[in-house]
Amino acid sequence: MKLFWAFARQNFHAVAAYRFDFFLRASSILVLMYGIRWLWITLYTQRPGAFGVSLGQMVTYGVLSMAISNLFFTGPPYYMAQQVRTGAIDLDLLKPLDFHFHMLARSTGEMLFRVLVLALPGMLVGYVLFDLQLPADSKTGLLFVVALFLGYLVSFHLDFLLGTLALVTLEIHSIDWAFHATSRFFSGQFIPLWLFPGVVGTVANVLPFRSIFFIPLSIYTGALSGRDIGQAINFQLLWLFILWILSRWMWGRVQARIVSQGG
Amino acid sequence: MNGFQLYFRLIQISLLSRMQYRANFIAGILGLIFWNVINLGLIGILVTQFTSLKDWTLWQLVFLYSLWVLGYSLYSLFFSHTSELENYLLEGSFDQFLLRPASPLVQLLGRELQHTEIANALIGLTGISLAYTQLDLHWEVWKWGFFFAAVVSSAIIALAINLLIACSGFWTGRSRGTSIIVNQFYGLVQQYPLDVFGSAFRFIVTGLIPLAFMNYYPALVLLNKVDRTNPGWWLSYVSPLVALLLIGLVSLVWRLGLDRYSSSGS
Repeated sequence: MKLFWAFARQNFHAVAAYRFDFFLRASSILVLMYGIRWLWITLYTQRPGAFGVSLGQMVTYGVLSMAISNLFFTGPPYYMAQQVRTGAIDLDLLKPLDFHFHMLARSTGEMLFRVLVLALPGMLVGYVLFDLQLPADSKTGLLFVVALFLGYLVSFHLDFLLGTLALVTLEIHSIDWAFHATSRFFSGQFIPLWLFPGVVGTVANVLPFRSIFFIPLSIYTGALSGRDIGQAINFQLLWLFILWILSRWMWGRVQARIVSQGG
Repeated sequence: MNGFQLYFRLIQISLLSRMQYRANFIAGILGLIFWNVINLGLIGILVTQFTSLKDWTLWQLVFLYSLWVLGYSLYSLFFSHTSELENYLLEGSFDQFLLRPASPLVQLLGRELQHTEIANALIGLTGISLAYTQLDLHWEVWKWGFFFAAVVSSAIIALAINLLIACSGFWTGRSRGTSIIVNQFYGLVQQYPLDVFGSAFRFIVTGLIPLAFMNYYPALVLLNKVDRTNPGWWLSYVSPLVALLLIGLVSLVWRLGLDRYSSSGS
């Protein structure tokens, strides 16, 4: 565990060096919050109380989604692709340290950094400027944090699997694009899944992506309550378990055939 | 060789080198198609559940989106690498542009051809054609002319905005950060009509970063949505003019930037 924090802290400092970049990212979140808020206001003027959700809840869902959007997919696939391309992956593999664990530590360090500089200020601005509501009670808030962290772990493992795949194909950008498009759609980042019609809705409910945005956000806004919350968190845990096993297994197979391109 | 001949020769060389990686090409195209389908899918769900967005119907929104994609694809096909200028400036490799006996701007523009963007152009055309038949539009000859002018203007506006951002690197050393913010505006303007947002947004994307001239304003004309009682109705017709103005502005800033340039030396 000490080792885990050492890596997390190291990466935390590495990204903290690019302060201006983060300032710009924070500003771009502001633009998105502004946009999404107006979109829902416009749609709700046409149809107040659509789908049993109030405008306040819907705006909170959208604005919060933008505030936390940088916490997921913190970039192991790019790190892995880069290490293979430059040959530096040798050094990572030589470390007396499990690679999967190493990636998780790096990624978590970056995620925590983003919580501090992007998500929390984003939520504050959202609260002051864009009608972001507070959760109904502290228990809801706590469950939101739990679900958010589980969502992060699911996103990390999807990312890790993608990175492992990239080591085989030696190509990352296109795969990453297709993957992120899928996640954008099925995670509920922009549109909550209760708006999805028929078959699309069923598919979205089965895939792991809804663990990432939809479940934490639904808990926060109160769209999920009571026993449904427990069910949703179980869903996250189940997918986390599956993805964890899958990651270990895939990595074990791929590790043996990594072709390093000479450093 | 004059500027144009040189430009096409450079493009030809770049294309030949790109075609060496066929698998990447196909993967890139599939990735683009997928991305657009997902975006349209999200808009589609919203509009079908709420029947319309202000007074924009599903196919009008498809038209708006596709017009943007078509114009932007022309820009990215030929010029998307202009954002690399920052790296050339930082690494000092910009010097090579100045040493060769040809216009540095032509050399920069002709450096690469992003050939996967063909897919985006086709997606844009498909979207516009589908919307055209679904909406039962019948454009007169002048509207067809306006349509082509609008698409070209849209590409020029995108090029000008991105070049201006890249040129800021002459003064600040870094420019990519600014494009992160501008990209968010791109996303919103591409997908939603300005009517959805507040007046601050309308002001920014009309007056400051004139992105709305890439799709929203010309689409009002092409979809017969121009409202003459609105004091700003004439804005719908001036995309080509905006493009011309921006070309002037870019060439001015580019020249100032070149004067300012001193190599990072490495």
